[in-house]
Amino acid sequence: MTAKRAPRMSDRDFLRGVVLTGIAIAFGVGASRYPIWEYGNTGPGLFPLIVSSILLLLGITSIARAFLAREAPVKLQIRLRSIAIVVVSLCGFALLSELANMILGIFFLAFVAPLASSPYSVKRSMALALGFTAIAFVFRELLGLQLPLY
Amino acid sequence: MEILHNLAFGFEHALTLNNLMFCAIGCIAGTIVGLLPGLGPLATISLLLPLTYSIPVDGAIIMLAGIYYGAMYGENVSAITMKIPHASSIVMCIDGYALTSKNKTGLALFTAGVSSFIGGTVALVVLATLAPPLGKVALLFGPADYAALMLFGFVCVSLVATDSLVNGLSMCLLGVLLGQVGTDVTSGVERFTFGLHLVADGIGLVSVALGCFGVAGIAKNLDNRDHRSPFRGKINLIPSWPDFKRILPSALRGGVVGSAMGLLPGGGPVIAQFTAYAIDKKVSKHKNEIGTGAIEGVAGPAAADEAAARTSFIPLMSIGIPENAVMALMMAAFIIKGIQPGPNMIAQHPHLFWGLVASMWIGNCFLLFLNLPLVRYWLSVLNLPYNVLFPAILFFCCIGTYSINNNVLDVLITAGFGLVGYLFIRLQLDPAPLLLGFILGPMLEENFRRALLLSQGDFRVFVSEPISGTLLGLIALFISWQVINYFRARRRPPRNPDVALEPQ
Repeated sequence: MTAKRAPRMSDRDFLRGVVLTGIAIAFGVGASRYPIWEYGNTGPGLFPLIVSSILLLLGITSIARAFLAREAPVKLQIRLRSIAIVVVSLCGFALLSELANMILGIFFLAFVAPLASSPYSVKRSMALALGFTAIAFVFRELLGLQLPLY
Repeated sequence: MEILHNLAFGFEHALTLNNLMFCAIGCIAGTIVGLLPGLGPLATISLLLPLTYSIPVDGAIIMLAGIYYGAMYGENVSAITMKIPHASSIVMCIDGYALTSKNKTGLALFTAGVSSFIGGTVALVVLATLAPPLGKVALLFGPADYAALMLFGFVCVSLVATDSLVNGLSMCLLGVLLGQVGTDVTSGVERFTFGLHLVADGIGLVSVALGCFGVAGIAKNLDNRDHRSPFRGKINLIPSWPDFKRILPSALRGGVVGSAMGLLPGGGPVIAQFTAYAIDKKVSKHKNEIGTGAIEGVAGPAAADEAAARTSFIPLMSIGIPENAVMALMMAAFIIKGIQPGPNMIAQHPHLFWGLVASMWIGNCFLLFLNLPLVRYWLSVLNLPYNVLFPAILFFCCIGTYSINNNVLDVLITAGFGLVGYLFIRLQLDPAPLLLGFILGPMLEENFRRALLLSQGDFRVFVSEPISGTLLGLIALFISWQVINYFRARRRPPRNPDVALEPQ
């Protein structure tokens, strides 16, 4: 027998259990606020409560398995850079389209998203922005999508 | 005879100029998007779903089906030429890419194309004969049985398609919970909406799908940063006669195996191609060559892939329960178009059902006679550097989600699910069962509550009904089998982690 390992916060399997348990508790608490039974019938709270209870069991099972596992823990590897840039470019697109117009949003997307990959080139981003704008116009005029371009 | 009559009726509908065009557009768009790394059928269908909004029902469904098998074909092509693995084309990376290494790309592509055609044709016979009678069986199902069947589907998907039952089932249930967001149809209570008006009707399906599969997939690809060399080899599509003779038996076997695997709950192309490959390895005349670039290693899985993709429509269209995540997405698309798949679908919309069946075969012809010769041009998509490709995919994600409700909040939700999906992927939780649970969740709840209403709140109804009792018994059996396996494995000395095989 190899030595028992202590789950750490970087252990992927342990964290998975924690995340699932957390989600289950959040939904379970939310569900318990809705009526479980109404007029002798099932209320809106019953079903989510049952599902989140099962999910809670599964989450606890995951945590238990991480404690019981004999192999060395797998480290959770998250590189926040790419996903952060991608999410920021999408949010920027959405906010600019709402507050100003969609062409600005498209330019934001075309200039920010490529930051996630190297090498970065302003020229290419410019070309992307112009290309996307052209496609957006085609969508609006030919396919009838209602895009608030300007 | 009735089948022939019905098929003729279907071809009448599928062969109109409009429907032919939609089928062709679907196949080609699906192939091109399916070629791209990181975009499997789920992402492809959800990315192209908004395109079908303004198309009439028959055309939209024919086009979606075309997108689906086009995407699968595209995946095979990118697996053969560049060893880009997608979920449903992992096997193709073995022998298909080995053939490319031997400068026989054309042969591999031809084999994949012809085998898909043969597998699809076998599946078509199964589909036309089996779907209508199965619909009659489905009429025996009560609400408790439907609820149990969906749970059974969750367990099967988790066992088959993911690496562990606990992880897969957790994702299914999490999906069910996400499906709870919005207004409860029975009582009118808004659940888990935090007062947000936009999610009062529930979270948008396209947002979830594009977030988890499109956006998260892009971030994952960006993390990997392995530069693949684009395919520059020659493609000679005409095979020699002896080669051609080797395709046939494998493809027929694959077609039969795939059709069967496509019918099972939790089944579908992924499991079908693995099974076909394993069988070819056992019984094929050239079994010793498989693994090093044998035609059989391409023909069997390609046929099974295609056959399973077709027959997995059967549970959806005759019972009304999708067996995997792709079919769940298909069901959502049907419902968006105002068609409720289920036992009544074939009777109520015969032209839709038989038209779809016929269009699948026409789609096969398109893939064979149009896509195959043109494949070298489609491959040029992959010559685009990824830092042009991924902003473009993001752009289409934005436009696609925006135009559903003409609301930027949907784009924000997509971004949110991109982040969540990425974290799930990193925690080794597969988002596909989540999508299945998300789409089936409301149906599961409806049937669950209806069953309890009929039994006046007595939970024993789920055990006492014969069909539901049997299904729940099977679920209990599967789970105890998994638990016993786990503890048995623990008693054995630990394996060397270096040689541990990655599951699928």
